[in-house]
Amino acid sequence: MLSFLRIPSGPAQRGQSAAVFWIVAVTASGMLLMGWLLPWFVEPTSSGIGFSPQDAVLSAPMGPGAFLLYVLAVTMLLLVLSPLAEIAAGITKRPLPLIADRVRLVVAVVGFVLTLVVWFLIRVLNEEPLFGPIDSHTVTDSAVWLTLYGYAIAALVYGARRWVLARGNVAFGAAAIPFGVLLPFMFHQAPDFLLWAASSLAIYMLLALGLNVVVGFAGLLDLGYAAFFAIGAYACASFASPTHHIHLSLWLLIFIGAGVASVFGAILGAPTLRLRGDYLAIVTLGFGEIIPDLATNNVFGLTGGPNGLSSIDQPRYGPVNFGTNPQWFYWSVLAISVIVVIFLRNIERSRVGRAWVALREDEIAAAATGINTTTTKLLAFAMGASVAGVAGAFYGSLVTIVSPDDFSFAVSVAVISMIVLGGIGNIVGVILGSSVLTLSIFWILPHMNEWSMTVSAPGKPLEFLPGLATVNFTQYTYMVYGIALILMMLFRPGGLLPSRARRVELEAGIESESLAAVQGRA
Amino acid sequence: MAILELAGVSKRFGGLLAVSNVSFSIDQGEIISMIGPNGAGKTTAFNCVTGLYPVSAGDVRLDGLSINGLPPHRVTKLGIARTFQNIRLFSYMTAVDNVMVGAHWWMKERVWDGALKTPRARREEREVQAWALDLLAQLELANYAGSYARELPYGLQRRLEIARALATQPRLLLLDEPAAGLNAREKNDLMALIARLRSEGLTIFLIEHDMRVVMEISDRIVVLDYGEKIAEGVPTEVRTNRRVIEAYLGSGASQEMHTT
Repeated sequence: MLSFLRIPSGPAQRGQSAAVFWIVAVTASGMLLMGWLLPWFVEPTSSGIGFSPQDAVLSAPMGPGAFLLYVLAVTMLLLVLSPLAEIAAGITKRPLPLIADRVRLVVAVVGFVLTLVVWFLIRVLNEEPLFGPIDSHTVTDSAVWLTLYGYAIAALVYGARRWVLARGNVAFGAAAIPFGVLLPFMFHQAPDFLLWAASSLAIYMLLALGLNVVVGFAGLLDLGYAAFFAIGAYACASFASPTHHIHLSLWLLIFIGAGVASVFGAILGAPTLRLRGDYLAIVTLGFGEIIPDLATNNVFGLTGGPNGLSSIDQPRYGPVNFGTNPQWFYWSVLAISVIVVIFLRNIERSRVGRAWVALREDEIAAAATGINTTTTKLLAFAMGASVAGVAGAFYGSLVTIVSPDDFSFAVSVAVISMIVLGGIGNIVGVILGSSVLTLSIFWILPHMNEWSMTVSAPGKPLEFLPGLATVNFTQYTYMVYGIALILMMLFRPGGLLPSRARRVELEAGIESESLAAVQGRA
Repeated sequence: MAILELAGVSKRFGGLLAVSNVSFSIDQGEIISMIGPNGAGKTTAFNCVTGLYPVSAGDVRLDGLSINGLPPHRVTKLGIARTFQNIRLFSYMTAVDNVMVGAHWWMKERVWDGALKTPRARREEREVQAWALDLLAQLELANYAGSYARELPYGLQRRLEIARALATQPRLLLLDEPAAGLNAREKNDLMALIARLRSEGLTIFLIEHDMRVVMEISDRIVVLDYGEKIAEGVPTEVRTNRRVIEAYLGSGASQEMHTT
């Protein structure tokens, strides 16, 4: 009787789970590769003792322990190349034998254990005779962490392939959440900037999750979402800075930010109730411009003008000052993000979530089916805004100063890019999209600056390209957004992890057929 | 007793009088059809009843109380449900979700229940889902419960739209051309369904072009032409009404119509 229950999570769900499988498998390979290569990227000053199999391979002869490193190198290589085998199996349509998964599971477990053993020998027992002299600057604990994590999630995807394919979202959580939690340990040698970037990532993730309620669930294109971020940030900054001599706890501020922003969400949403599509987008664009402008003009003397509000309190919890312990700040944002994700996921599958989707699909039919379109839309705006308000509360505490420039149209564009990249309407997709884009902005681009300087220095491989060192990659942030969006629309228009509805829509392709597609040229 | 009453209802779009001073009433438990040539104002009249359009003049009364100016969702809550001429399902929702949207207004779950997944919310979700499945099963749609609405064959989409309307627990069901695009067998099924719904106490008001369907199932027929009511009566009366034949076939054709 209830066999239908499997249908919604049947074939279509598997599509997403397959994507999750790929993403986790490729990430595992990437982490192993990074664990291998990381020592090349880090500065000699970042001390730390670990190991790096590349040294074992490159700088023989070493002590007898080098044998362990060779074994490790083989396990790494096998797993790094594994996705290629998967691709080959996909192309030839001949699935890999079951034994291949077993082998890779064993390899991953062996690699994991061996990594721990070697790390223990080198770091704790300091067994130089066993391994020969170890050049301390080439290896870091981060490399060890990444390697371990890579082995762990490789064991997950290859050892539990069927589970991953059946429960994609749960598997994604199982692979991603421990990474999020362990991040401060993994990169404990890195400067606080990394935790700052990770906190920013979580804040942007919150923004993307909130915008996804409005755009993804309810289908209301909002181009001025940064306005609610601004409202939340300013509201919280007012209650936690010397400006008005009020100093409230961050935990209260979260609710204040959410509350104030959601009220504004409803207020700004009200005039747009009759609008849809392009018209709605343009009006929200207007709001997005008005709010920072009001802040610039120090409206009612509350916003501090162009300089914004500064000296925002560092959050503290008991004796722990989050300003001096950035990992605690990061963990608190992460915890709130997880709570928000759970909330939104529940709502998506509840009575209200259905009403939003109905509204997105056909407003007139929704109204005629008993849905109060006014309150339902306002609820979407308010809820989306409240998540932005929470993000704003954290943002103010993180950067300790909020000014109008922080909430420009560019922020709205960035957040929209994230949800489009990840998959509009799919929470897991949105998490992925915001992570990928924020990582590339906050981590990959700055590292490319270092890297370009290193590799084009005299005597290095790209010596003949001296101009490379002068390129400031961080200035190409918007190019990354642009390229990501273009590639997305061409190759995966539903996003990295499309929502199920979007996937069916794209497969059907009826509404959006282009002339070229009809003529068989695209 | 009249469940729905239109008293001098007019609807004007700029210079066009789409519905002009139309009056009639529908009794509890009746099946009443509205026919008329294309553009006669039938769907406009439906829209006036269901609150999609405000009426320009006149009064729409449900159980003797005016429902003029109420928004569509309030009209639905008062017990009027409808389907649409061009099927308006929620294409990218599953069939069972489409039906559950119909249950939206009478479900008790609040936003916070849903967000926190309280036991009460879970229980209600389960119950309503089971109820929706039961409704789908009664309309022989059970096999499609997990399919997207747009994946259903056309005839079943029409039926799913009726299921969604029924999920709002109406007393009066408005069907806008329910037989359009259906084959002969599906039309028979539809007529059986309508008869069954009536036997369960529902009042049914439909717009239909298929004369076989109209003549077989209707208790009474209202005929519109150019926004005006030109005839009303039992099928046999309407069939032979001269003005009706003229409206459909032009003046002069009515004589010939009688001989064939």
